[in-house]
Amino acid sequence: MSANLKKIEKSVATLELTIPKEKFEEGLDYAFKKNASKFNVPGFRKGKAPRFLVERYYGEGVLYEDAIEYVFDEAYQEALKTFNLEPVDYPDINILQIGKGKDLVLEATVAVMPEVELGEYKGIEIEKIEYDVYDGDVEYELEKLRQQNARIIPVEGRPAEQGDIAVIDFEGYIDDKPFEGGKGENYELELGSNTFVPGFEDQIIGHNVGETFDVTVTFPEDYRVEELKGKTAVFKVTLKALNKKELPELDDEFAKDVSEFETLEELKQDIRKKLEEKNKREAENEMKEKAVMKVVENAKVDIPDVMVERQIDLSLRDLDYNLRLQGLDLNTYLSITGKTIRDLRKEMWEGALNRVKTQLVIDKIAKVENIEATEEELENKLKELAESYRVNLEEFKKSLTESQINGIKEDIAYYKTIDFIFNQCKIVSKKTNGKMSRG
Amino acid sequence: MEARDIIIRPVITEKSMNLMGDRKYTFIVDKRANKIEIKKAVEEIFGVKVEKVYTMNYKGKPKRMGKYEGRTESYKKAIVKLAPDSKGIEFFEGLQ
Repeated sequence: MSANLKKIEKSVATLELTIPKEKFEEGLDYAFKKNASKFNVPGFRKGKAPRFLVERYYGEGVLYEDAIEYVFDEAYQEALKTFNLEPVDYPDINILQIGKGKDLVLEATVAVMPEVELGEYKGIEIEKIEYDVYDGDVEYELEKLRQQNARIIPVEGRPAEQGDIAVIDFEGYIDDKPFEGGKGENYELELGSNTFVPGFEDQIIGHNVGETFDVTVTFPEDYRVEELKGKTAVFKVTLKALNKKELPELDDEFAKDVSEFETLEELKQDIRKKLEEKNKREAENEMKEKAVMKVVENAKVDIPDVMVERQIDLSLRDLDYNLRLQGLDLNTYLSITGKTIRDLRKEMWEGALNRVKTQLVIDKIAKVENIEATEEELENKLKELAESYRVNLEEFKKSLTESQINGIKEDIAYYKTIDFIFNQCKIVSKKTNGKMSRG
Repeated sequence: MEARDIIIRPVITEKSMNLMGDRKYTFIVDKRANKIEIKKAVEEIFGVKVEKVYTMNYKGKPKRMGKYEGRTESYKKAIVKLAPDSKGIEFFEGLQ
């Protein structure tokens, strides 16, 4: 058995495998035995015809397919080992020479793991990213806390005003007929929140608790229910109660209520600190991303198309899964967006290519730098995962297969490598281009 | 009758293949030929030495296609046993 690496181009290897006739004969024999019961030669019961007659009756070709299958795998695996190739796809097989008493010559074309040529990846220069925390951000957070801690108190002795929460019963009629979805009881409607059709909330203002009145609205042309577009409806509304949101005063008392701090000032400090941490994390992540991007750019990889296609398959599956969570699926999505699956794949190509390349480059760096997940890190990660799934750590460990654990290890190594790249980076601060973290 | 008129075709079936192990080769032959003629014909065509010939006459089977009645052809089958010192018949050997 001899193999010959003819060429390797764009990470697609072409192998020429020569299988000696004796071995091929063995394969033919195997193929005949496997299929003997299928051959039907006149004068013989099924499966009883001798091989030479079967070959003569059906032609030599009948046995080739199975025979090649029999001999190919061994020769192929051996060739892969000899030339140190790591295939990422199934091989395409071409027959160059076949025949009785002749050596079998096959040509196998297969996409292999591309060789990564790393560029510069240590001491990459990246621009410093820093986000400042502004007073406005702190106040925004405080306001959020206030809203969350608002108390609902009943309003008495005055008609409804903007901002009140009205508890209403309503029933809508179009041309004196009730319509679907036009009815509600004890509905809490915040006036001015624009949750209802425009005009509805305004017409409640000025009414007193206990009153029953008509509200006339016209559904907008772009209303989401087809039948109601542009129709005029009359709602019979009963105002049952009127509530008001009362926001707590921003003082030390409030600070004590919502946090463990004694004074408002301390609470503010704490919020600021947390925001700073968050911004720092975000900035760091962005810098890491930039650093990785540069490293990937510097590297040279010939990625075979199948790898990208596989990545696209994965993304499409994710997309389908996410759509299903929303009650759609990929086909409906395609018909809504008016795209064909081919368009979508084309759109995804660039991103998928990038992802594959990033993965390959990071893997390569991890290999070169000997970055691996330690037992301790694995243990920690498992603990973390078990906690997030709310399962017992030991049970969780048992439920994992070896390949899953390897996947987790690879994941850890991946992020460690990114950290490695980042730590090696030269951070150049240009101008502190602080921007509001919340536009 | 010429030798090649006597031997019409070989019989290749599971049974006849098994008989080959005993140096017996099976042919369909002309109905009019006798054992001696068959022996001579086989010896002439295949260049072998025949020890013995067994013959059997088969009547054609009655068949009917609608209102037309008929029968398949009758034929004579001959099993030729070769002498122990003779070579095999290449025609069959080539198959093996």
